[in-house]
Amino acid sequence: MDNQAIAQKIREVAKKLLSEGKVDVVIGYAQGSVPMRDYPYFAYTPEEAENLTWSGFCNSNLANFTIRRPGRMAVVAQGCVTRNLVGLIKENQLKRENLFVIGVASPGMLDRNKVQAAFPGKLITSVQEDGADLVVTGRGFAERLPRKRFMKDNCYTCVQRNPVICDELIGEESEPTHGGDIDKVAAPWEKLAAGERWAEFQETFKDCIRCYACRDACPLCYCHVCFVDESQPQWCGKTQDEADVATFHILRAFHCAGRCTDCGACEAACPQGIKMRRLTSKIEKDIRELYGYRPGMSLEQEPPLVVYRPNDPQDFIK
Amino acid sequence: MPPSETFEPRIAAFFCNWCTYGGADLAGVSRLQYPPNIRAVRIPCTGRMNPNFILQAFRLGADGVWVSGCHPGDCHYIAGNMFARRRFAVMKRLLEYVGLEPDRLQFSWISSAEASKFQQTVTEVTAAVKALGPARFLRKDLAEVA
Amino acid sequence: MANKILAKDQLGAFVDKLKAGREVFAPALVGDKVVWSPLDSAEGLLLDFSNTDLSPKDFFFPQTECMMRFANDAKAPDGMIMQAEPELKTPRALMNIRPCDAKAMQVLDLIFIQDQMTNDAYWRDKREKTLLIGLACNDPCPTCFCTSVNCGPHHEVGLDLLLVDLGDRFLVKVISQRGAEAAAGLPEAGAAEEVQAAELKAKAEAMITEGVGMDNVNAREVMELYEAPLWDRVQENCLNCGTCTFCCPTCHCFDIQDEVQGTDGRRVRNWDYCMSWLFTMHGTGHNPRGTKKDRVRQRFMHKFKYIPMKRGGEIGCVGCGRCVQLCPVNIDVRRVVNQMNG
Repeated sequence: MDNQAIAQKIREVAKKLLSEGKVDVVIGYAQGSVPMRDYPYFAYTPEEAENLTWSGFCNSNLANFTIRRPGRMAVVAQGCVTRNLVGLIKENQLKRENLFVIGVASPGMLDRNKVQAAFPGKLITSVQEDGADLVVTGRGFAERLPRKRFMKDNCYTCVQRNPVICDELIGEESEPTHGGDIDKVAAPWEKLAAGERWAEFQETFKDCIRCYACRDACPLCYCHVCFVDESQPQWCGKTQDEADVATFHILRAFHCAGRCTDCGACEAACPQGIKMRRLTSKIEKDIRELYGYRPGMSLEQEPPLVVYRPNDPQDFIK
Repeated sequence: MPPSETFEPRIAAFFCNWCTYGGADLAGVSRLQYPPNIRAVRIPCTGRMNPNFILQAFRLGADGVWVSGCHPGDCHYIAGNMFARRRFAVMKRLLEYVGLEPDRLQFSWISSAEASKFQQTVTEVTAAVKALGPARFLRKDLAEVA
Repeated sequence: MANKILAKDQLGAFVDKLKAGREVFAPALVGDKVVWSPLDSAEGLLLDFSNTDLSPKDFFFPQTECMMRFANDAKAPDGMIMQAEPELKTPRALMNIRPCDAKAMQVLDLIFIQDQMTNDAYWRDKREKTLLIGLACNDPCPTCFCTSVNCGPHHEVGLDLLLVDLGDRFLVKVISQRGAEAAAGLPEAGAAEEVQAAELKAKAEAMITEGVGMDNVNAREVMELYEAPLWDRVQENCLNCGTCTFCCPTCHCFDIQDEVQGTDGRRVRNWDYCMSWLFTMHGTGHNPRGTKKDRVRQRFMHKFKYIPMKRGGEIGCVGCGRCVQLCPVNIDVRRVVNQMNG
């Protein structure tokens, strides 16, 4: 099913749910006012549901908007997003009975920064998906490019394109993965000598402006008081000093340990195009290697950091 | 304090109240000699450890951080150290991944009876951190103007 | 002051003259982004770009600025006494700054150095030592809306010189005395060039089709706007991050903090953002803008209603369009203001 057809079906399902009063709101996407940016949209009536859309540029994680939200809601969700929904249910931020999952098999989401990088400094006025192609139009140019070159990094190594929980599936399930091997690309700095890693880390985060878009777009970050905002003591300074920027990213990555589904919403939200998954992929890899756990795959799993085994690895402990 | 030519590391040490802190006390009472570089912080249990604490120690100028508690199975709170063990593994790997030298962040299980193990471990940890020189990464430096 | 002509093959000499005693900066393509960078020579000068992702306000209002230092030691002879940071040593020139950004600095003057009581020395020092040479927009972006917020693609307010690209040469509009000095020695412009520039200006202005209506925003009572139902929907997808605030050339909120480490101390000012709950959090625990709706509403009301009310009609927005491009959830300021306009 192509994206237009999926969008049409999402609208139908949404209208039905709303007119039958099964949910109070359908959380999906609407078309943005700039290219390559569809945005989270809240449809409360069948008329508003007409605005719902679906494309490779639906890159917020809608699970983020379900946290502690009162009432019943339907959410348009592909694989990784449903894993986050599972995570939120287990963390008691969301009740399963209040949630209706409109599941979609992920087509492989698209990275607007990659598309822009193919036209450095040039103005792009529209990007259309056309089957296996992307048609990019701008001031003084129009090009047809292969869609699969412009997917988000995390989508190449996706292990769960299909929803893990679903109340109504739009279209068919797809192949479960996109074929990439996460272990080939995760934690890239492991290959470097220890002395070079800090320099890579600094280089990756040198453009960070501490806007916290990564944190605010992330469905895992929902603390009433984020550690960044604590002041007695102040764990993380508010300045642009190396130590402050580093502390923020390291601690945030740690807080996502055992919970991050590699949805890439952080990278998609970052206005500076920072590739923070170079850091977070390390945590995901370690959790899998140490404790054999993949977050959000089922409601029955036990999150790895709230349980223990008598024989947990401890070779690093004297 | 007289100026010193050799580097003396400052090591933030987090000891659980029931085991390692007791072990450190026993080492003191037994007059066991050990290097004076650690600054001990008593926490009720290693389960109280928070990655914030480790980063804060480095931020404020610690050259090394050492966390020590009860052996698994002996925790005063039954399983605090079991949860901590998982957190430590993840945090240590993450910090080493971003470039922190492995010897700067150390963990141990030392019971309240193990005064000699305490003496031995504190000596090892101090020597290892000393060999690395002053910590450079993660240290908040006010002289910097961002 | 007469306008001048700068032939493009004379750019090298012009830049070299600028660099005498100054540090010169200009937008440059670094990787695949356009960012403000030091300019070594006219060789690297980028002319074909829309705008930088982050505004040049950082030159005058750094994201982290050390204001003063002190020795945190009551016994030391100079202990516990604030020492001011040194002033800017070398004057600077910003080349190819867009008219919207230059006007934005003028708007920020109204905040930082508005009168004798509010005279931010840090801001003033850097402003007085920086020459602004604008590059007029002949090809505004679809997200630009400067013409509906008292600005425009060839706007001159806030600039010392404005370069209009005529093809093989620039018309150099001389706006200030400092600009005249920088352009001294250039040949005077002729009528044909002035006409050509005027045509480019009209064409650029006509390209900006999606603007904001401000008539009703200005006319409506502040409480009527404040209590309008539109905010319930506008705030829905906002993440309350700082992206819009930090990329905006007119946003100016900051947080001052003392940082102390042993016997060193400093007072530092960092950008802050009103989208954060912490921004208005009181020590008592009360938060006057405790809900997301309060904060989202604040941003638009401040820029489009309170600032015009308090600053004689000046709008707290110059229509650069950065927030429209960078907002992760596509909250389009034009859409919001047009809703405010009814």
